[in-house]
Amino acid sequence: MSADDLMLANDLPSFQRYQLAFTAHIRDPLHQPRPQGVAASGMAVYKEIVFNNLFASVSACFPVAQKVIGKRAWLKLIRAFLREHAANTPIFRKVPEEFLSFLADSTSNSPPLLPSYLPSLCHYEWIELLVASIEAPKLDDEAINRQGDLLTEQPVFTPTMQLLSYDYAVHKISPRNKPKQQLSTQLLVYRNIEDEVKFIALNSITFRLLSLLRQNKSTGKQALTLIADDMHTGSTEKIIQFGLQALEDLKNLGVIIGTLKPKSPPDKKLIS
Amino acid sequence: MASISQIQGVGLGLKRELIPQIQSLYGQPEIANINFVEIAPENWIGVGGKSAKQLDWFVERYPIVCHGLCLSLGGLAPLNTDFLQQVKSFLHQYQIPVYTEHLSYCTDGYKGEQGYLYDLLPIPFTEEAVHYVAKRIRQTQDILGQRIGIENASFYAAAPVSEMSELAFIKAVLDEADCLLHLDINNIYVNSVNFNFNPHEFLRGIPGERIIYSHVAGHYQQTPKLLVDTHGEDIIDPVWALLEDAYQLFGAFPTLLERDTNIPPLNILMSEVNKIAQLQRNRSNQQLS
Repeated sequence: MSADDLMLANDLPSFQRYQLAFTAHIRDPLHQPRPQGVAASGMAVYKEIVFNNLFASVSACFPVAQKVIGKRAWLKLIRAFLREHAANTPIFRKVPEEFLSFLADSTSNSPPLLPSYLPSLCHYEWIELLVASIEAPKLDDEAINRQGDLLTEQPVFTPTMQLLSYDYAVHKISPRNKPKQQLSTQLLVYRNIEDEVKFIALNSITFRLLSLLRQNKSTGKQALTLIADDMHTGSTEKIIQFGLQALEDLKNLGVIIGTLKPKSPPDKKLIS
Repeated sequence: MASISQIQGVGLGLKRELIPQIQSLYGQPEIANINFVEIAPENWIGVGGKSAKQLDWFVERYPIVCHGLCLSLGGLAPLNTDFLQQVKSFLHQYQIPVYTEHLSYCTDGYKGEQGYLYDLLPIPFTEEAVHYVAKRIRQTQDILGQRIGIENASFYAAAPVSEMSELAFIKAVLDEADCLLHLDINNIYVNSVNFNFNPHEFLRGIPGERIIYSHVAGHYQQTPKLLVDTHGEDIIDPVWALLEDAYQLFGAFPTLLERDTNIPPLNILMSEVNKIAQLQRNRSNQQLS
């Protein structure tokens, strides 16, 4: 407890002062004493169930991360999460997200005891949970041309698609393959029509293309021309051919679901 | 719209493992005794994908009740009204008529945030705590525009600052908040062993007219004098006897089987569901004759 908390605690009714002491001991049994007059056996149950519950909720989301850093370090990390982090969501599947923000805080605040790739790896593992469970906005079928031209019209992506860029090859990390150096890595994650989460590794041109299409709401050709201009290769046509192939592949996978129908002017509708 | 009157007979806590089994046996006599299902809003609010489709499937086929875990009615942080608004639209969206919560807390206002600890912690039984919790229940009911049920919680550590018995505390909160009671039979038993009182006497102090439905479950015996409410074992005979006694006292109220860990296949769980149904029938037949 900070000095502020203590001052506040003195103004609280006795039942709340007790609650604060109780939870402080649960969070940090080593440094915060067990409240006076509470049976050790009962207190032990609370320490155990709170920690085990949190441990299970977090661990389920990060099977690779916990193996990579090892059981002891993982236990220590979840201990620190309970001790230091003020979780602010009642939604259980968002607990791993709280863990990510704890990780971001703790790696910036404390000496680097943890591998530098750990936040990226955890983020990558969390994305799978996010994409599996995210509520996808309903698509307006009227607005989408399923057979649209990917070059001359604006491609529309499946709403669960995430474009990710990491400093490490997070999708290849395992206990036997811990990164020794940074490697710029771009990934696409989406939920297919069978509700399965799929990952695709992207090359840098395709990543740039998809980012442009999503941000600028441009047509395939506009985005690819911009990329070709930036590359100064002079072979715009080659880039466009390459890009079209990539877009068509993504269409076949269901990542691109069609193109945006051009909005017809209302007066035209009246005439027909 | 499902209504409270549809919450009848026997319910089952909807765990992910059970979903495909219920779906494949739906309409078969083997699971005919499942009349309603219970979900935790904290597991289902804002879900998409496969889970959303499963929820839609159940909403079309079963009356559903919401039993919350993280509202933290006795918590130190201000009541999470954003979350309550989400609960409200969730209840509305899926036409869920009942929302209950625990008479416990799971937040400590750590670092000025809610500080969720994601478990059910015991509120000390004091006069001030009665007013505090009742006020938060009333606030909840005002936001939702409906009465909620509160569940008598299991606990493992008595607070030395407590000024009254658990039963006196529950009754005072129910009266002051004018809310419903979600009676957990197993929790009465667990507490009676942990704190050495007679569970049948405890039942006799319960305001039966407030019961909306009840829970039964198994628990884990850590030592003969310390039971932990794991919902991971079969229901033991003294808990069945307590349920029967409660039916004698208050009539055969709707009762839901909770099984959260160590979950057996549905056909095994059904023997407990069927036993609840049998006890309810026995009680109703007795009333008729």
